[in-house]
Amino acid sequence: MKLSFNWLKELVTLPAGVGPREVADRLSLSGLEIESIEPRGQDISGVRVAEVRGLRPHPGSDKLRIVRLSLGGAVEEEVVCGAPNVPEPGGRVAWAPPGATLPGGMTLGRKEIRGFDSPGMICSEKELGIGEGADGILILSSDVPIGADLVATLGLADFVFEVNVTPNRSDALSHRGIAREVAALFGTTWKWPDPVRLPTSDGIETPFPVEVRDLEACPRYQATVVRGVRVGPSPLWLRLRLAACGVRSISNLVDVTNYVMLETGHPLHAFDLAKISAPIVVRRAAAGEVLRTLDGVDRVLDSTDIVIADKQAPIALAGVMGGADSEVTGDTTDVLLEAATFDPRGIRKTAKRLGLHSEASHRFERGVDPSTVPQAGARAAALLAELGGGTVASESTDVYPVPVVPKRVTLSLRKLHRLAGFEIEATRVISTLGALGIVSSVADDGIIATVPTFRPDISIEEDLIEEIMRMIGLDQVPARLPSGGKAPAQHPESLPDRARDTLAALGMYEVVTWAFVPRQALAVLGPGALATGIAVKNPISADYEVMRTSLLPGLVDALKRNLARGAKDVALFEVGPVVHPLLDDVDRHHEQRTIAGGILTGARSGWLKSAEAVDFFDAKRIGTELLRVLGVSSAELDFQTGSSPGFLHPGISAEIRLRTRANNRGSDAASEADAQSAAAATLGFLGQLHPGIARRMGIEVPAFYFEIEMDRLEGRSVVVRAHAVPRFPAATRDLSFWIDATVPAAEQERAFLSGREPLLREISILEDFRDPRFVADGRKGMLWSLTYRADERTLTDVEVDAAHSRIVAALQGAFPIQIR
Amino acid sequence: MAASPGAQDIIQELDGLSVAFGDEIRPLVTEQEIRAAQARYLGKKGRASDLMKALGRLPAADRPAVGEAANRAKSSIESLVSARLSALADSALASDLARSVDVSLPGRGAGLGALHPLTRVRQEVEEIFLGLGFEVRTGPWIETEWHNFDALNTPADHPARDMQDTFFVEGGRILRSHTSPVQVRTMLAGPPPIKIIAPGNVFRRDDDATHTPMFPQVEGLYVDRDVSFADLKGTLLHFVRRFFGGDLSIRLRPSFFPFTEPSAEVDAGCFVCSGTGKKPSGEGCRLCKGSGWIEIGGSGMVHPNVFRAVGYDPTQVSGFAFGMGLSRMAMLKYGVDDLRSFYENDVRFLKQFP
Repeated sequence: MKLSFNWLKELVTLPAGVGPREVADRLSLSGLEIESIEPRGQDISGVRVAEVRGLRPHPGSDKLRIVRLSLGGAVEEEVVCGAPNVPEPGGRVAWAPPGATLPGGMTLGRKEIRGFDSPGMICSEKELGIGEGADGILILSSDVPIGADLVATLGLADFVFEVNVTPNRSDALSHRGIAREVAALFGTTWKWPDPVRLPTSDGIETPFPVEVRDLEACPRYQATVVRGVRVGPSPLWLRLRLAACGVRSISNLVDVTNYVMLETGHPLHAFDLAKISAPIVVRRAAAGEVLRTLDGVDRVLDSTDIVIADKQAPIALAGVMGGADSEVTGDTTDVLLEAATFDPRGIRKTAKRLGLHSEASHRFERGVDPSTVPQAGARAAALLAELGGGTVASESTDVYPVPVVPKRVTLSLRKLHRLAGFEIEATRVISTLGALGIVSSVADDGIIATVPTFRPDISIEEDLIEEIMRMIGLDQVPARLPSGGKAPAQHPESLPDRARDTLAALGMYEVVTWAFVPRQALAVLGPGALATGIAVKNPISADYEVMRTSLLPGLVDALKRNLARGAKDVALFEVGPVVHPLLDDVDRHHEQRTIAGGILTGARSGWLKSAEAVDFFDAKRIGTELLRVLGVSSAELDFQTGSSPGFLHPGISAEIRLRTRANNRGSDAASEADAQSAAAATLGFLGQLHPGIARRMGIEVPAFYFEIEMDRLEGRSVVVRAHAVPRFPAATRDLSFWIDATVPAAEQERAFLSGREPLLREISILEDFRDPRFVADGRKGMLWSLTYRADERTLTDVEVDAAHSRIVAALQGAFPIQIR
Repeated sequence: MAASPGAQDIIQELDGLSVAFGDEIRPLVTEQEIRAAQARYLGKKGRASDLMKALGRLPAADRPAVGEAANRAKSSIESLVSARLSALADSALASDLARSVDVSLPGRGAGLGALHPLTRVRQEVEEIFLGLGFEVRTGPWIETEWHNFDALNTPADHPARDMQDTFFVEGGRILRSHTSPVQVRTMLAGPPPIKIIAPGNVFRRDDDATHTPMFPQVEGLYVDRDVSFADLKGTLLHFVRRFFGGDLSIRLRPSFFPFTEPSAEVDAGCFVCSGTGKKPSGEGCRLCKGSGWIEIGGSGMVHPNVFRAVGYDPTQVSGFAFGMGLSRMAMLKYGVDDLRSFYENDVRFLKQFP
């Protein structure tokens, strides 16, 4: 909310020497944050009120004229002016003579305009930064003294505060409310704007009939008739105030309602009396009832909406927007002025449903104090009569059968002490609350406080504690480190963080990608579970449409951006949640799983040799190292082909599976439990992105992806049982042979291990040789290194050879091979 | 008594062997060649052996002299070999030591990657609170409105509900707009004392230069029998000093959050200008815009309605809660100007956080 400091000063006494900065700081530190202070008119200087003495055509232009001006006395100057609205001699205008400064820092001088040397210029409202009017110069009224400094005379120099009024502080949504707060903070007094009473009326008319049918919807309704209003522009002072608060001036009639709202916090509404027929009826709308609102839209109403109706039909959507058929116009002469309060929840529902948020609904939603409705109504009627030349023609109708009663809240001093953390004596509590208009007295071991009706937000003792603490100042609270609590449990992010540390140590960069992805980004992962994500019903854009079911789209997006920016060798990872809908389970709704995923492309990092492209095995190394750190040794892993998702290359990808007992059992024993544990055995996938799908996703280079389901590793930890380093030497035998190209290395390894040869301790692969120049079609050359060792003695060559030939025999028994 | 002419010939030849050997190995540069040459002279089938074959035919009286000559030849050849080998080793060592590398060339092999700055900053924050005995709790992204709002004293018909513009998802759920539902879930799961922090991504319908629709937050909650605002202040003060360093102070500004009462915004003393608002040059500090304070989050004493919602008795327990945006903390700590940098994932940016 915008607050004019000049306006505020009219309503509250400030201690000597206290300026806008001090006021803003005190407000900010007690709960009404001043987000900014905008000086207005502070950079205008030297602009004077000048009298028009004469007017003649410009010899060199049809559009320009030469205006003779005086600051009083005999001296006159001639100024060129292009505005169409230069007043007759005797009229008053704002003259910026040479040396004057305008907003933005422009200093005027003498300037030749079409052959005429003009001393400065005559200013428009826009040039003075005080309004929108740019189609003519500012005309000043005859009570402004000629020769006076414009800024000083009009009170143009102001500071506009942007106040962040939190939703609980409905009392602070006006200049009056903030004046009350400032008075409490500085220990001074505030006052209601004048007049607070209706101007004396002859009571010629009976009060306008009003019938409130739903008191919950409308606790108080006041209607006042003002007749004989001449609708026209508002005076400059009023326009200045509205402009400072960011409100556009429309006409004196509309401006008065806005002005009084900004001043008192009471939204008001003016009906054209000629367009309505008595009585006013305040009620809930009938479902399906239609009202055309001011903006020309036909609104279909709901039974929770509150409407103001006349004898025939709804004429306004209470507290939200007026009706088009009862709108005041330039021809309006008689006005019915409404001042009322409405049920905040009803207003909120209506405003929200129709998307109609206004200054009025904003205040009604937060709660307007019924007890001051008459002051606001009277203020508006009086202003309208004054500015529009009308007369208040009736006593106000005031329907207020159940006056709001100030709440009484008790506060225990013990509770205050416990919550604040330090002691505040009862006398201080009472005086602090008193400054806020909360009358309180000591009772038993505490305080009984009577909360004024303008503070609907205060209803429990914690609310009082907050008021006391914010007025005393939170800087008065001592700082203490709490010592209680209990022993912390396992850190839920420890597993993901371990994964992050490992992947970063393996040379990858962590990214953070959006939880929501474009629908299309999931569609390419389909068909299957990944293609169906939970849709966001109100996404910001199509880019944030569906909750991710996979980390792949985000990683691909990050990779693409890096490639587009010239990077070539990129390795990225993310560890985070994905979300899958549980379509058949309304209660659980969805399943959130934590995935570690990575993508890499380009060359393996190397130096001073030709770069080698990364491939499947780089991704596999990272995946297995990660799993090892997370407690799964490579001996527990199976890399299975033929079962990876469709977005991976069918021949260059694998499902990462945990070896389980269920895997080893015969298929006839397969039950549902087995199927489940078989699914649980899937730890993730890795492989090259399917080149066709990668291209559809915008990636032209080979890229390798892996993902590990972190939740499957939950509860696993690396249990270290250290073995002593062998004391006796090992012997190594290499084994080189030709074998069918389709026999995977893992099966060869299984053949080596099938005989459970006790001396065989290590198997490592040295070569998988498939060069077609040397290898027969369908065959491959393998080179293994086998290490033999005994724990308690040094092996002899004879023992090693014997063991090795048993291994070779086992391999030969399993596969047709030729030893090389 | 002179040796027989046959013996003398042999002695002469034996004595000549070492000279011939010396000539032969002079051009040789490998130990292997030298050892081969040595074998040609002293080996079983070497020249010395050849000469000694004649020994049996010599008179017995001549034999000692010939034997002596043979030993002489053998030892002088062996010393030639060892001298030569050690000279070779010396020159090999010398030439090895003469080598050098361009030490300014880069190291070889895969370098380390890096954690994302938002992860780093979360870990830093967690570490500080773990040290104070807080435990870390996390929760789901997709929440019920009850956990996110109603249980937190933010009923649907209250304007406070508009303070956070919420994303709705299919199935009547929402994306959590703060990590407070983790507080609710933790309190529902067990009795006080509760001393937790809840880090995680949260979601609000904002997308501009200073807002992203998803952003990381960390919230804290401490509930016990007599938790006071002074405890809150002490905890936040400790955090600010550990996180930003130095002797900074904090400032709590009264504010409003539906789930706390009293509520306060948390400002930390500006760590760039040490809270003075001015650079040493006297110019205004850019980071805190001359105020000396940086806003870092919100806080307050848990509202009794929140306790009621989770089945705690507000007359028996009290608690404080606080929350802060981790991207803001990361921007402050690492001097990042553009919030968007965190989500562009440009490796050139990520590399700056080793």
